[in-house]
Amino acid sequence: MKNRRITTMLKRLLFISYLLLLCGCKQEKKETIVNKTNTKSTLIKYANGFSIQNQSNGITIIRVLKPWANAKTTYTYALVPKELQASVTLNKNEYDAIISTPVEHIVVTSTTHIPALEELGALNQLIGFPDTKYISSTATRKLIDAGKIKELGVNESINTEAVLALQPDLIFGFAINGGNSTYETIQRANIPVVYNGDWVEETPLGKAEWIKFFAPFFNKTQKADAIFNNIETSYLEAKKLAAGAKSKPTVLSGAMYNDVWYLPGGKSWAANFLKDANALYLWKSTDENGSLSLSWESALDLGQHAEYWIGPAQFSTYQEMQDASEHYMRFDAFKKRKVFTTANTKGETGGTLYYELAPQRPDLVLKDLIHILHPGLLPNYTPYFFKPLL
Amino acid sequence: MFKQTTYSLQFILLLILLIVCLSINICLGSVAIPLADTFKIIFGSTLKESSSYYIIWEYRLPKAITAVMVGGGLSLSGLLMQTLFRNPLAGPYVLGISSGASLGAAILIMGTSLFSAVFSFSAFNDFTLAIASSLGSFLVLFLVLIVAAKVKDTMALLIIGLMFGSITAAIVSVLSYFTKAEKLQQYIFWSFGSLGNLSWLQLSIVALCTVVGITFSIVSIKPLNALLLGENYAKSLGIALKKSRYIIIVATGLLAGSITAFAGPIAFVGLAVPHITKQIFHTTDHKIQIPAVLICGAILMLLCDTIAQLPGYMSVLPINAITSIFGAPVVIWLLLRKRKMIF
Repeated sequence: MKNRRITTMLKRLLFISYLLLLCGCKQEKKETIVNKTNTKSTLIKYANGFSIQNQSNGITIIRVLKPWANAKTTYTYALVPKELQASVTLNKNEYDAIISTPVEHIVVTSTTHIPALEELGALNQLIGFPDTKYISSTATRKLIDAGKIKELGVNESINTEAVLALQPDLIFGFAINGGNSTYETIQRANIPVVYNGDWVEETPLGKAEWIKFFAPFFNKTQKADAIFNNIETSYLEAKKLAAGAKSKPTVLSGAMYNDVWYLPGGKSWAANFLKDANALYLWKSTDENGSLSLSWESALDLGQHAEYWIGPAQFSTYQEMQDASEHYMRFDAFKKRKVFTTANTKGETGGTLYYELAPQRPDLVLKDLIHILHPGLLPNYTPYFFKPLL
Repeated sequence: MFKQTTYSLQFILLLILLIVCLSINICLGSVAIPLADTFKIIFGSTLKESSSYYIIWEYRLPKAITAVMVGGGLSLSGLLMQTLFRNPLAGPYVLGISSGASLGAAILIMGTSLFSAVFSFSAFNDFTLAIASSLGSFLVLFLVLIVAAKVKDTMALLIIGLMFGSITAAIVSVLSYFTKAEKLQQYIFWSFGSLGNLSWLQLSIVALCTVVGITFSIVSIKPLNALLLGENYAKSLGIALKKSRYIIIVATGLLAGSITAFAGPIAFVGLAVPHITKQIFHTTDHKIQIPAVLICGAILMLLCDTIAQLPGYMSVLPINAITSIFGAPVVIWLLLRKRKMIF
């Protein structure tokens, strides 16, 4: 009795595995059809977070390798030109989204996406944004005021209903870690969500290179390359200029909350700028690529005699800092009025311009820093983001 | 007679331990300051202009004194609440004082995004934060006192306190939902608690409230002891129950409210310490318990702060994480041993 039961179970198992094997074969067959094409990769020089492959059949494959910090998942998107739609069949299971290009109506979710669209001349395709008040770009603000760009709720919790009502071709989203449940609902409604990982990038030019990620969606690859090459040239020239400076000033950064000092880690985006500006960031040897949280004592110990203080969190005036904590007055940079901030450069509706534009224009950030830290090198330059505290 | 001497021995030992912990707390920090220098700075000061002098006098000393007052004050208010409600799991925040303070802080930090048309605070600093959270906790306390006058049953008061807590927590959630990431971060940091950002002036305000709170508690020793045996028994002893209840609630409000205003909501100490002292002294007499919780609370807080400062490292840990690591096992152990508890 028992034996018979075991044999029937074994038979069933065998049958199921045979079925699975069949399915597997079927899948493989499909893949071979797609992979027959030759591919050519777009040159990505600095960014680590994405790759672009152009297939000879006209399809572009974009892979997002680092959608968020320490991500284990990657995303693959297939971009199919509209004229090829009828002749190409792709296996849906192989891609996180299949998008027909050029896209006509999009939603982006971070202000850092705005400058790339503006540079590419794709602002008219933008139809929705969550929390539009943080957008500072004047061209975009005009479109918001004209009702061309709809408000989609607050923060990163996008209003699903508003998105579904808008019916965009796709959404450029981002996730801090792991997927976002709101996006899943939107994807179920057949609106593709493309994850953008520009914020994970650590190098100034790496962040700026994400303009190349947006370009294939609008068929503007060449334009993006030209824009990026200009930014790169301008950045490298400024870096070279800074390298020739006679001094290497010491720099302190960040500010205190309660009795904890928050400041950029030694491998972070902000620290990379200071390195390229030929300054000595006092915490450059730390391994963090995000922010450090240090005890107030150790910040005073190391930073008390720093010549410059770049980026004291949200503060915009010396009085504000003094009111917040008298400890700040112990620092030489504070006493000598050598504190510089991005908080005084705001858009029309109060968004900080630096957060929006700096990732796309690292050349301007670097020139700002060189102008401040090496006063003789760019004497006639007007700083764009970093201004003295008031 | 014999018992008295044992207690004094225990008190002497605890006081010695307190002084040792206080010295360790002042001597250790992220920046290594030699022991000799530390004593020179405190007692003789030959290094007036150095950063070591500034760190000791303007940071470590106020922080250590804050730790003593926070630990002692919260433990005392925890004891008062546990006795008043005859509930071993009551703490200083059971009447919604911390929820009130959180609401005040949340409105100050995050309210701008919601009420920006009505009011906006440009001057956000420790002092405005303290004022906002004191207002919040006193608003809740005021409501509790009104309710205390209306309801006869202390248990009903406990439930109502918890309800106030839920209401304020809900408002805070709504504010959090609509706020900017940076503001939310600021609020979260406040809720972690911090001992290290009080100036001498703020410290004296907390000290004043603590002294008044302790005085009120000492005045209430007799009714507190009577309450241990039940409200009816207390009445039969001729205790003016309503008046005592007011005094106890106001004392708790002053202690917990002022501490939360300046140091943020510090978790667990107030709940755990009264049970620890009952285990040490084997008595529920408030004449012994009040000084005992003050000293034990101070010792525990100094220890927690020393650990949180991670001596020798550049980083620090949030104080609430450490107090909870100490406090949570105590609470778990309490629940497991509930039958054998001295209460």
